[in-house]
Amino acid sequence: MTPLSDHEMLAQRIHDEESRQAFVNDFRVHLASQVFPGNFPTYYNRVLPQFIKDKGREPETRHEVRRVMTHDPYYSFWSAMQRNSQEMIWDSVIDSVERQLPELIEKSREAGDKGSLTLDPDLEIPKYHVAADIHLQPGAYHSDQIEDDVAAGAMYDWGTYIYSMGGLGTGNNALGQITHGFFQNEFPDAKPKRILDMGCTIGGSITYWAQKMPDAECHGLDVGAPVLRYGHARAEALGAPVHFSQQNAEKTNFEDESFDVVMSHILLHETSRTAIQNVFDESYRLLKPGGVMMHMDLPQAHGQPPLEGFLFEWEIYNNNEHFFAQLRDMDMPELCRKAGFKDENIHPKSAGSFWMEDQTPYADDGFEFPITMAIK
Amino acid sequence: MPNDDQKKIKLPRTAKGKKPQYFADPTVDKLLSMVLTLMGELSVTRDRLDTVERLIENNGLFKVDDIEHYEIPDDVNAVRTERRSAYIARVLKTVQDELDSLQQKGDGKNTELED
Repeated sequence: MTPLSDHEMLAQRIHDEESRQAFVNDFRVHLASQVFPGNFPTYYNRVLPQFIKDKGREPETRHEVRRVMTHDPYYSFWSAMQRNSQEMIWDSVIDSVERQLPELIEKSREAGDKGSLTLDPDLEIPKYHVAADIHLQPGAYHSDQIEDDVAAGAMYDWGTYIYSMGGLGTGNNALGQITHGFFQNEFPDAKPKRILDMGCTIGGSITYWAQKMPDAECHGLDVGAPVLRYGHARAEALGAPVHFSQQNAEKTNFEDESFDVVMSHILLHETSRTAIQNVFDESYRLLKPGGVMMHMDLPQAHGQPPLEGFLFEWEIYNNNEHFFAQLRDMDMPELCRKAGFKDENIHPKSAGSFWMEDQTPYADDGFEFPITMAIK
Repeated sequence: MPNDDQKKIKLPRTAKGKKPQYFADPTVDKLLSMVLTLMGELSVTRDRLDTVERLIENNGLFKVDDIEHYEIPDDVNAVRTERRSAYIARVLKTVQDELDSLQQKGDGKNTELED
């Protein structure tokens, strides 16, 4: 597997831990490149002809495809292996984190103060976050297992790296690289003074922005304390001043019109229908006139053929992505209008690895993330 | 640094949320999990053996034949016993998952939730 750049907070792996992670990575590469593609001939040669025989027509929606594909033995076996591989990611990183947790907590307590960390033990963790452990990370992103816990962050750093099979880049910051490159291209003369990343987890994206824009004051918020503690220590270890705070993106304690950029990276699909509108409303409130909102998320269902739409939604039903189903059909420009943005200032865009600074081959997967952009 | 007597931390190992059933017989789901874990552990062991063989070759420390006649000291035996126990638990994790899920709060239903 491709290397992940070392930093002071990264859990170190001993021989078998590293080997176990390498196996999970290679197994997932095999599933993605050799097994998953088999779902297409399975559908066209077996499932679709049977459907036409039974109904006299082709399936019209991804939901119809789901009802027949989930009973197909090839699809089921791939799906079961894919689910197992996701569980194996976490199983392969827990040992390293558990073994070194006291030292990692100690390091986070002694982290620098270029940026800051503000936690709110009374923050109510939203229902969409506690219903199930997102991405099957045991213990979720918000649960403290011990005082001053950083385990969820330490697991997330390695886990997301293995999940993406290296696609998040050696700095585990590909999404931040994409939005930063995209922003620079859209607004070449902009010099934002204050930037907010909502749902930042360990701050991979906002820390990258802080490294690239040292004159800007960079903030990252999340509901999870252990990922924020880890993220703060990680940013300090990388020499980047980022201000982390434990808040809900739906309603923050920042002042009106106090940010030039308010953004998120694949946050929306982890929240609820109501929460997404609240996040857009809050983004509008926080932006200065002329400020830019950018919410990057996963592709929606509009225009996707039924089979592709069904396959893309595997994560909803098999990887604890409860709310992604709702986001798939939502009208993002309408949410912007309801939040207060004017029609002419709403710009649905998309961006992918083309905009990354790091153009090594493993990062170039051609995948495009929709970005809901609006200017206040 | 932490005290030596600090209680060893045990992180949760089972994600909250309903696990889908992929096969008509749920036993097949468990068997698949075990087979995949065994694949992983065999791969890990082969990597480790490869490391050992290369170190032997690089350093000329002992003959591979010495391995065949190795007498296991008590402390090594204890370490191996602990490792085998962890290995068995890892391969049988799918069984533990079911028990853990039964003890988690909420049904963790993996469907669209209403606000």
